[in-house]
Amino acid sequence: MIACLAIPGFSLRAALRSRPSLAAVPAALAPPAGEEPLLGPVTAAAEAEGVKPGMRLGEALAMCPRLVLVEEDPSAAEQAWEGVLLRLEDSGFSVESAEPGCAYFETRGVERLYGGLEEALKRALASAGSGWDARIGAAERRFTSLAAANVARAGQALVVSDEQMPEFLAPLPLSLLPLDARRQLELRELGIKRLGELAGLPKAAVAERLGPDGRRAWSLARGGAAGRVPGRRPPAELYEELEFPEAIGNELTLRRAFGALLDRLLERKERDGRFVRKAAISARLVGGGSWRRTVTMRDPTAARDRLRHALGPKLAELPAPIVSLRLELVELSESHGQQLELVQAAGSELQSRLSEGLRQVRASTGSGSVASVVEVAPWSRIPEARALFVPRDD
Amino acid sequence: MVADPGSPGAVRTSRRLNEPQSALVEARFDGTPRLVNRLGVAVVREEWRVLDRWWTEEPIQRRYFELVLESGQNVVVFRDEERGGWFSQRGA
Repeated sequence: MIACLAIPGFSLRAALRSRPSLAAVPAALAPPAGEEPLLGPVTAAAEAEGVKPGMRLGEALAMCPRLVLVEEDPSAAEQAWEGVLLRLEDSGFSVESAEPGCAYFETRGVERLYGGLEEALKRALASAGSGWDARIGAAERRFTSLAAANVARAGQALVVSDEQMPEFLAPLPLSLLPLDARRQLELRELGIKRLGELAGLPKAAVAERLGPDGRRAWSLARGGAAGRVPGRRPPAELYEELEFPEAIGNELTLRRAFGALLDRLLERKERDGRFVRKAAISARLVGGGSWRRTVTMRDPTAARDRLRHALGPKLAELPAPIVSLRLELVELSESHGQQLELVQAAGSELQSRLSEGLRQVRASTGSGSVASVVEVAPWSRIPEARALFVPRDD
Repeated sequence: MVADPGSPGAVRTSRRLNEPQSALVEARFDGTPRLVNRLGVAVVREEWRVLDRWWTEEPIQRRYFELVLESGQNVVVFRDEERGGWFSQRGA
């Protein structure tokens, strides 16, 4: 069977992890800056006051003046979601992440391990961790498992067999289908509000009226294809993070801090000569919240300048001063080797002697005893704001 | 804070270079130092003020002195006029 683990409103729950008191009051995820002012997920208290996800901000505030808007924290959400996936993988499930808050896995391989389907699903719910209100839907088909997860209560594992499937799907709303708002409206205007009503129409007629999207929606309304869950490749999880003694915002300082992080990350032994395929840069913002950008390299590389040119310009997109900066090597290439140099690059012998000297100093004086001086604001009138000691343990 | 060597990630806390160190200073009536860490001041070479970050919740208001002590040592000290107290500082 294919199981779908769902955590509704995951981005809001992740953002509220650092402010748990807000979970009990009317709160909603604030609309992203520069986009249509539509609310993200909302808390149960907000829902009780009539506020719904996707509602216009003005309308929601008119309905519930004490509504608290919570800034999105994409970095915390990504890390929390990665934690959920890792716990599932530790329990033996080979997961595929659809988006933060929704993952699929096949139960066939682990049913015998846990003594049956029900037990395996219980184990998966426990692995997701407490406080997330995870729920699971399981079915022979992927879409049906997603629909079941949407119907299940928090902490429940709902299993839908192939025989029950048409009856189960028929009364569910069309909003479960991956159709854009215009198509959904078009169907509602035609009097089609439930999956069963769409599934009952002739396939050719739906395809003619709604095109390929409609044909796919029709197929999903009948349960969708069985398919397989490929399981993900675990991320490389190599990162370096720098916490600043005070919030920094000027671009030169940020670029210098980024350069120091990149140098240290490329020198990490765990990289084992592999090249960077995908990297992410994230920051914790001064007023709370976070920021994150991911870059996939066209050709995997370990060249400092290429990585710097690919990731560095992203720093200009930071919306506020930051208190910490983090650089992650999300995906590394499988290949280890590279073409050997005929003539050794200038300074490489000196560099290796220096590294060995520093290693000996660290061995005798302990971790954290060797640091680089990174100039961050040499123009500052405050002497202690001009440069930072950045510990190096590479 | 330094992560275990070999762990996938490392969070390092940077610290400032040339942090002010608290100093024992005795001042004259006009505010110029007379004794620094129990050593007499021979010459006040320079004096200046730094007013910065007045727009933040942690404004900076310092009165700096570059001094030569009777021992021949050069030092820079300042009085923190925002929070009180004397400090010596390198790199000023």
